[in-house]
Amino acid sequence: MTDQGAEIAFRRELVGLVPKLRRFALSLAGHMQDADDLVQAACEKALKNRSQFQPGSRMDSWMYRIVQTLWLDDRRRHKVRGTSIDPEDAHLSDGGKAASLPEDRMMLAKVRVAMGSLPEGQREVLSLVAIEGLSYRETADVLGLPIGTVMSRLSRARDSLLPKLGLAEGHRQ
Amino acid sequence: MTRKPMIDKDRLAAFADGELSPEEAAAVVMHLADHPEDQAWVDEVMAANMALARAFAAPMAEPVPDRFQALILPDADPAAHVVAFRPRWSMPRIWAGAALALAAALAVMAVLPEPDAGLRVGPVAAGSALETALMAQASGAVQPLGEAGQLTILATLPATGGYCREFELVAPETGDIQLGLACRAGTGWAVDVLLAETAATGGETASGYLPASGNDAGAIDPWLDRRGAGMALSADEEAALIQHGWSS
Repeated sequence: MTDQGAEIAFRRELVGLVPKLRRFALSLAGHMQDADDLVQAACEKALKNRSQFQPGSRMDSWMYRIVQTLWLDDRRRHKVRGTSIDPEDAHLSDGGKAASLPEDRMMLAKVRVAMGSLPEGQREVLSLVAIEGLSYRETADVLGLPIGTVMSRLSRARDSLLPKLGLAEGHRQ
Repeated sequence: MTRKPMIDKDRLAAFADGELSPEEAAAVVMHLADHPEDQAWVDEVMAANMALARAFAAPMAEPVPDRFQALILPDADPAAHVVAFRPRWSMPRIWAGAALALAAALAVMAVLPEPDAGLRVGPVAAGSALETALMAQASGAVQPLGEAGQLTILATLPATGGYCREFELVAPETGDIQLGLACRAGTGWAVDVLLAETAATGGETASGYLPASGNDAGAIDPWLDRRGAGMALSADEEAALIQHGWSS
């Protein structure tokens, strides 16, 4: 492939990843506006550092990594304490599209707030596994962590998240 | 059979996350049949995974926002979609040179004896000086149109069903200016309108030209609107059309 052809292919693949990158960024940042700023910065970085991408390797993993790194940098710079998600905003952030019943919307709002209260490391792992559907191995590769660390963070994330969601009742026998 | 849980939470979570091999998963399923409290926890993990996926699903249902389209695929901007047959970046700059060479060839042809420049409203005669100019002359270039005067193509515009070219002809003796619009019609061209600037006299000229209201290119706008004409093409886009004989 010519260099120009490779660049076009790269750009097309990148634009196709934008919805997933926005979802990942939203799960980390909690607000669509912050998520989009994050995705924008990540795409700019990717376009600038295209030569660092190994053709044939997974671009989604590469991009998740860039989004995650930029998000962490941003968090460290602003050092916001705890959650940045307020329930009102979490409630409205999908415009009600994902849920039709009010109880369902309430539950999804609860999920967003609970996600926002997790420490960064746990939030990243939970997002990649539960939302993006990556395997533990892929998650470990994206985050540059040992797989055991991925599993322990996942475990701690669920220990604090699950009791807040009240999902258990309906399943108890 | 022991009542102690034989499978720890991490393994149950791995089962819920789809991490286990079919054999390992089958063993967990067997275990869960005897351990309702573990089954409940697995159900809860799965329900949480689904809730998380749904809670942040909004971007998946939306088109890629313009800001990312513009950033990542800047050449697929809305202005380019009218000539989407060829991405802009693949047009070599040398084509502008090719267009100049064509224009030079045209100049040679145009000085050959030409009985009729073809300048009238209606279909443009094949082989006429006007047809040759419409086919090959770049916007901005000035070329003699047979004996009729100096022809300048002012712009090429995308229009409904093809392309239009706006042109200006300056008569050699009088300096009178005619403004015209020609559009693709089948495999040829047709002149939609000719506007003549009739400085003092007003009224119609002998050949039935409409008097233009002064030397104003805007006078042709109603005909452009009728054709659904868009913004003028860039020199590169126009050069590509000339190169390909206006077939898109």
